[in-house]
Amino acid sequence: MRLSEQPLLGISDLTISYETNRAKLVALDHTNLNIAKNTFVAVVGESGCGKSTLALSIIGLLPTPPAKVDSGAINYKSVDLLTLDSKRRREYRGTEIAMIFQEPLTSLNPVYRVGDQIAEAIVVREIRKGRDTQVETEVMQKVYSTKGSYLAPRFSRPRRGLTRLLRDEIISALKLVRISDPEHVISRYPFELSGGMRQRIMIAMALAEKPALLIADEPTTALDVTTQAQVLKLMKGLMNEVQTSILLITHDLAVASQVGDRIVVMYAGDVVEDANVYDLFSEPLHPYSQGLLACIPSGSKDDSTLKPIPGTIPDLRYTITGCKFASRCPHAMKVCHEKPPGLIEAKPKHMVACFLYGE
Amino acid sequence: MASKSTVNILETVALRKYYPTRTGINPLGKRRFVRAVDDVSLTVPRGKTLAVVGESGCGKTTLARTILLLTPPTGGDIIFDGVNLVKTKVNLKKLYREMQMVFQDPESSLDPRVKVKDSVAEPLGLLDGGDRESVDKRVSELLMAVGLSAEQGERMPAHLSGGQKQRVAIARAIAPQPKLVILDEPTSALDASVQAQILTLLLDLQKKFNLTYVLITHNIAVAHYLSDTIAVMYAGNLVEYGPTKEIISKPRHPYTVTLISSAPVPNPWKRNLLNIEIKGEVPSAINPPQGCKFHPRCPYAEKSCSEAHPPLEQISQGHYVACYFVDKTA
Repeated sequence: MRLSEQPLLGISDLTISYETNRAKLVALDHTNLNIAKNTFVAVVGESGCGKSTLALSIIGLLPTPPAKVDSGAINYKSVDLLTLDSKRRREYRGTEIAMIFQEPLTSLNPVYRVGDQIAEAIVVREIRKGRDTQVETEVMQKVYSTKGSYLAPRFSRPRRGLTRLLRDEIISALKLVRISDPEHVISRYPFELSGGMRQRIMIAMALAEKPALLIADEPTTALDVTTQAQVLKLMKGLMNEVQTSILLITHDLAVASQVGDRIVVMYAGDVVEDANVYDLFSEPLHPYSQGLLACIPSGSKDDSTLKPIPGTIPDLRYTITGCKFASRCPHAMKVCHEKPPGLIEAKPKHMVACFLYGE
Repeated sequence: MASKSTVNILETVALRKYYPTRTGINPLGKRRFVRAVDDVSLTVPRGKTLAVVGESGCGKTTLARTILLLTPPTGGDIIFDGVNLVKTKVNLKKLYREMQMVFQDPESSLDPRVKVKDSVAEPLGLLDGGDRESVDKRVSELLMAVGLSAEQGERMPAHLSGGQKQRVAIARAIAPQPKLVILDEPTSALDASVQAQILTLLLDLQKKFNLTYVLITHNIAVAHYLSDTIAVMYAGNLVEYGPTKEIISKPRHPYTVTLISSAPVPNPWKRNLLNIEIKGEVPSAINPPQGCKFHPRCPYAEKSCSEAHPPLEQISQGHYVACYFVDKTA
């Protein structure tokens, strides 16, 4: 790979397992994934396929133990995040790589006003950034209220506690996510807002520092379809506005097809297919991707039939020697049960892990 | 129960369910209500499937629970198999032999300490009686019908996957040979590939046992696939009701148009989600807007919309819409 093509984030050979007293469960099995600058990558897979483990490992929020990184590297702007200590790792979290979660109500603190929570996020990052650079005075001005402590905004009422600069910044963050009356929303508690509004607040918080990568783990699963449409449209628009890459984790292939530039299909801890969205939907190569597409109801019972994938996902507590999909695959061959297929470039920029397309 | 052979197995007439709110001292001294289901009239023909679609809080689950008399209706009538369940004294045990429900989360609807086959046998014993041997035989038939092995019947729910548990819940619901099965979001807790398995199973069972379904769902694609008629609810009201194909291809109520166009389709060449313009959010149930509840978000709203609620009017055979400006979506 030439230097000019250096991706924003490169995951290579990443293996993560969860160890319990009884068993060792491999959640990610020698995973490779690249994320280019300013692209929308959607990771699709069913529950237990390792998509959330992937997201948490990038941002460094995996609970270790039980999680354990067995091998691999996560290169972000040519720094291997996995080699950093927790203090240095924290410098990336929120400022370079941000994340939003599935249920915004559990991500927000119920007893603090929304404005204060966004302020806290901004303040913490500003302090971290300003620690040893010249922006320090600027940060001080922005952060320190008359009460003289950077913790002040959190413990005081917003209209008094927030300095003007900080307040302006919060309002512009809320305007970014198309909240129509930010002055009003600032002094609300999370429970007073709707699910869609809360998720917008989370996005505003995550994008306040203009991170280069935003990870969104099932951001619209808890929302209604009309709200989901609004939030997805917003995220897609913000990607260009803020110049960020988005890694969307979803179980819904339809959602992925609507917003993703690239689709990564995962199955039982493996990336099985990785392609441009149009290539994947016009010609899915992996039998699992094909099966997944045939599973989505489109049409009525009279003029269409669903073709469910037989069987269930394998139990990851047991080691599977061959391809993990082989037991459910209609094209399974002898070799599929003997060794795992590697991710190969079957078509230009269309990666697939299946022996049907060569060794 | 007197079984009169009517075309419609279920009919609701102006069904209402209001819940009183507890919001402290009201200055006017009036009790306020959440109108969870307000004036809903529907018919379900035998052997067909009615899908009730809508977003969270629109009253679709309350409607299901009211039909089953799990919660008493505030007003209106429920006519099941020729019998008015509201006006007559109903023997619930007999009723539940003919009307059953499958809940959204199989995790919480199965007793974790009871073997799967005993869970399936329970309604048989309670509702049908019968000796141990015939019950056992019926249980193994039922398990086979939903695609589970006898060995899986011996397991505890914890040893089954989500999809398998939902199969158990379905087996249990069809055990007393009901005439009507209410499916409350039967696949929304399941993965895509498992959802396809369950949907196929539901269709097979319907053909095999001539079942009538009322499907409660927020997923338009699932409703489209499984149902013959669709009822669209918004904030407790029925806004559109008609044949599935017609509603999907030509929705007429502005809310139905919004709902259908915001459902993501698995097609990157047709990015409907990025092109639609949706105003606002679902209104509060305690204090809904006057008149048509959708008018603050509606692109066609005029003054009359905020004054009175539009009645449900027939626009073509079996297709009803509650909108004053239905011509604008034609």
